[in-house]
Amino acid sequence: MRRRFARHLNLLRWALLGVAIVVLVVFLLAQRQSVDVSYGQSPAPSARIEEGAAGELGDATVPSTDEMTALVTADPVVRLPGAIARWDEQRVRAAIGGHDTRILVAPPGLDEAERKRVRKVRNATVRVIGTEVSGGAYQASADTLPGWRAQFATGDVTDQLVALIAKLRGVPAPPDRDDLRWREPSGPELAAVVGDLRSDGLHVGAGATLTRVPENAARAAFSDDAWYVVLPGQPYGEPLPRYGPALTRLAPDRPIVLMYGGWIEYHGPAEADFADLAGASFYAQFEGRLSRYDYPQQNVLGAYLDRVTDIRYAGLFDRPLPYRPFDPLRVALPALPWIFAACVAAFLVLSVRSLRRSLGGPGDPRWGGTPARLAGLTALAVEVSLLTDARSNPALTRSIGKLQAARAALDDGLPEPHVRTLLDDAAAELDDTALVVGIPSYRPDHYLQGRLS
Amino acid sequence: MSPPLLVWLAGGVLLLGAGFLTTVLPRRRSRERERRVAWSAARAAIDSAEVSRDATTERVPEAERLLTRAELIAAERGGPTAARAAADYARRADQLWRGHG
Repeated sequence: MRRRFARHLNLLRWALLGVAIVVLVVFLLAQRQSVDVSYGQSPAPSARIEEGAAGELGDATVPSTDEMTALVTADPVVRLPGAIARWDEQRVRAAIGGHDTRILVAPPGLDEAERKRVRKVRNATVRVIGTEVSGGAYQASADTLPGWRAQFATGDVTDQLVALIAKLRGVPAPPDRDDLRWREPSGPELAAVVGDLRSDGLHVGAGATLTRVPENAARAAFSDDAWYVVLPGQPYGEPLPRYGPALTRLAPDRPIVLMYGGWIEYHGPAEADFADLAGASFYAQFEGRLSRYDYPQQNVLGAYLDRVTDIRYAGLFDRPLPYRPFDPLRVALPALPWIFAACVAAFLVLSVRSLRRSLGGPGDPRWGGTPARLAGLTALAVEVSLLTDARSNPALTRSIGKLQAARAALDDGLPEPHVRTLLDDAAAELDDTALVVGIPSYRPDHYLQGRLS
Repeated sequence: MSPPLLVWLAGGVLLLGAGFLTTVLPRRRSRERERRVAWSAARAAIDSAEVSRDATTERVPEAERLLTRAELIAAERGGPTAARAAADYARRADQLWRGHG
């Protein structure tokens, strides 16, 4: 009964060790950490697009370098066919201040070779390709939302020209000015836009280079209920129709994306938090390409919507978490260390128990009659010693030696079989002694039986 | 460090330690015991051989050589194997002397 219980305890001990190891392994395998800290996997495409594949190269071309040089020599400001950049003549003239400054304005969407031809026109102090302003070793670009708005909505490069010319002359540049003016849209204008929006959510102004909203990007960025108003690039110097607030008043809960040429505005829910961030991050990244090339509005809008998707998936704005199914591992993970600790503790207790049992030495109750046999044989040796002579003495002495060794072994707690072997040797010697002496009752077997009975 | 992490670390160390101790302690104990048993037997055998030598009248060089070797081994101490070798020599010497006695 007791032994079976002990065996069960031993089994339990190893079972606990197994459980602890399994728990440890589960815990280690559940450690899924990565450097990717996205709120979710943004579905916006991130593949690189080949140059020219997005329709950014326009139809416009430029004459040869020599011809352009001749044109620039003849006229301080040369506008090549298709050029879109505009500026405030008065401010630029003030910045030039009577120096000989010649400006060459090229259309956007030139390919690499054409841009190189433009850059080789040595006598042009300032080159404007699309709305990209460069001159000497410098390039001027807008770095604020009003600056980008003026540049991409109306092709206004006044600030860039003024800054670049001031830099080339070595004088401090005057501060940027936001000259863009707004106007409230007229009743019929607004009615036409709202009519289009109510029917299919999209209004495309005459001259806009967009046929349809990029569907996947739009669905990922906003839900399907967003409104898109796409207008062509606005004429420079005229006020822009301010559709944003008017449409927001009509549909306060609807995301509204407004496009003036290459300029995109967001109106609607979370506008205060969201619009500037999306615009700044988009134009800060793509300003260079948008100013140099002649992208269709469709592609600009697609890129903007991808950026919006990325921002929303970055977790900056309220967006419900995706549904997470019940995962027993996730629920159990916090408890695993304590299960492990309990297993370890129980294993330790049982180990200590088994250690103490296996180290248990002297004082073990299972020793039986070995000490009694030692005592009996010792008494026999003492009795026989009275009767021995020269012939029987050696055997007796040897037996006493063995008895002493057995006693020392018993005192040291050496295992019982060894003590018994020593006693057997001593008994054999005593047996010899008894035989030599000739008294059979002194033979150990007889003698011990007599004493014990 | 967070408490669960400490639990894992401490638990792992304790498990390793427990496994090590439960293996090493009994083994060391049993080896020590084996050594002492062997020496106990060897000493008993040497004592017996000495008694037999003293009881024998004639000299037995072979037995004396064996006993000397056993005593030398015993004087140098050593592990169970040495003890068993010493006991073996002593026993053979004992038998030689008893044969002549």
